[in-house]
Amino acid sequence: MTVTTGNTPFAPLLEIALGTDTFAANWDHCDRIATYVARMVSHNRTDSLLYANLFSSALNELLETAFRAHNGGGEISCTVSRSGPVDRIELTIPCNDKITSFYANAINDLSAADVADRYVAALLAEGELDPRIGLLELAVDYKAKLALTPMGQDKLRLVADLTLEDTY
Amino acid sequence: MSFTIRYDDNNQELVMAGAMSPRAADELGELRTMFEKATTQVSGTLYLNVKRLVRLNNIAFHELARFVAKACHDKPDLKISVVTSSVVGWSARKFAKLAHISPNISVEQYDKDFYPGQGVLEDGGFIPILRTQTKLTWRHEREILPRHGMRPGLAVADICCGIGDFAALLAKEFTPSRLVAIDHAKPSLAYARKVAADFGIKGIEYVYGDASSLLVDDNQFDFVTCRHSLQVFDKPELILKELFRICKPGGRVYITNEKNSHCLGEPRGESIQWTYNEVAKVWAHFKMDIELGPKSRRYMADTGFDDIRMESFMVTNLDGDPQDFADVIQAWENVYAGQMAVERGDSPEFIARFRQGFQDHIFAALHPKGYAGWPIWVASGRKPA
Ligand SMILES: C[S@@+](CC[C@H](N)C(=O)[O-])C[C@H]1O[C@@H](n2cnc3c(N)ncnc32)[C@H](O)[C@@H]1O
Repeated sequence: MTVTTGNTPFAPLLEIALGTDTFAANWDHCDRIATYVARMVSHNRTDSLLYANLFSSALNELLETAFRAHNGGGEISCTVSRSGPVDRIELTIPCNDKITSFYANAINDLSAADVADRYVAALLAEGELDPRIGLLELAVDYKAKLALTPMGQDKLRLVADLTLEDTY
Repeated sequence: MSFTIRYDDNNQELVMAGAMSPRAADELGELRTMFEKATTQVSGTLYLNVKRLVRLNNIAFHELARFVAKACHDKPDLKISVVTSSVVGWSARKFAKLAHISPNISVEQYDKDFYPGQGVLEDGGFIPILRTQTKLTWRHEREILPRHGMRPGLAVADICCGIGDFAALLAKEFTPSRLVAIDHAKPSLAYARKVAADFGIKGIEYVYGDASSLLVDDNQFDFVTCRHSLQVFDKPELILKELFRICKPGGRVYITNEKNSHCLGEPRGESIQWTYNEVAKVWAHFKMDIELGPKSRRYMADTGFDDIRMESFMVTNLDGDPQDFADVIQAWENVYAGQMAVERGDSPEFIARFRQGFQDHIFAALHPKGYAGWPIWVASGRKPA
């Protein structure tokens, strides 16, 4: 399947399904999956090692966000596709109203003019870490374009477009 | 989580390395203890070395920021210097956020300005030198390499690969099972990738990295090469230690280095001799040892290699086209007299005489009865199994 936005086709690179229960039991999975996926998609980037490190850091934050915001059961699927310099990560996440509004509000806030300041403030804030932190980081430090697509009642799709070779 | 934290009291340095991505802040007890211990012990500046920290999730960063803020609060005269690496793409940008906590916190990229010849070597001006040099040395090294253990099918790393021409030649001649080529000059790597693409050579991984702190696991390669490069560092033993580390037990590390004061030529031998003695001094001024060649055996032994093999060869004007030899010398003159001597602040008189020796070397190389030479020392050693 080829996904298109405008007229640039995204060619699929890989897709994996992640059981949320496994992740709840073994947090290391986020890091390991992120590292694995990054290695797979980076080998034909100019500097594969540098790219893989950036990509995996970004993906790890997305996965951590998803598993933290989630409250058990079902599968999260992760696909990566590519259009030239842009790599697209899509997470399809089981959801309820609470989860949907978490993402909707978080993504909405990313377009605020002072989003960079908000990100720094959240990083340095006392007390519990803001659960939106990963999304803020992607938008600010990785210049990712984030979007949300509802997929019926109980699923949503989080799309992150990353252009890592140009940003860094 | 595979990460390490250690505190080095001598350098007042807290070193965090590996991948740190805890699920919850309370998993960072060890870091907190170390951090508190470090802050009570230091006077002046605490160095937070994150050069080899390849992953730090936001949970961990948030917690670390808390420790840093507390330290600054408890000890108002404490300075904290965070040392990041440009090889980890997110690192400098992320850690820069810590500077918002207090003016006493600074964040730097250690490899921006970290070895003496970096300006000269990384701005791209060296590219023409390296290209012609390798053309001349390869006709010798392709025969020398097998005597040092090179054979088809090995996993090979070329550290400080420059413009990657040696790696490309290796790929063709010895078909390694894997070939990684690492350098810290982005223009050289860009050039290397272009050359490989132009020649349809696939499978060489050209990677941006720092030879003194490689992001490569231990025991990865059967054969590790590092050519003409230990001589550009002020602490070659640190690089050699890294080459040793990434080499598999039983594998070999292969290095080549020069002793420029032994360059020679006739006619006009005296002028040539004078200039190359001065070359050694200019390099020494920039804390680089272009005389390292014959010292290789000691360096290898001190690092812990066994079965050390050593030989030397002389590139001369009789190896193929003498104009190639002349081109190398011209390129040396441009950088050594045109850049390095100028930067050292040498007088125009000195520079004129300095240049003359190179011109005389070229004269000898192109003279129908002349002879011109550039000696190189090869050393290799085995990492004990
Ligand atoms: C004299 S050149 C030799 C290059 C190549 N091996 C050859 O023989 O053509 C030295 C090389 O070391 C690289 N270099 C210097 N410091 C480095 C470091 N810390 N890590 C990786 N490469 C480094 C420079 O960019 C340069 O390409």
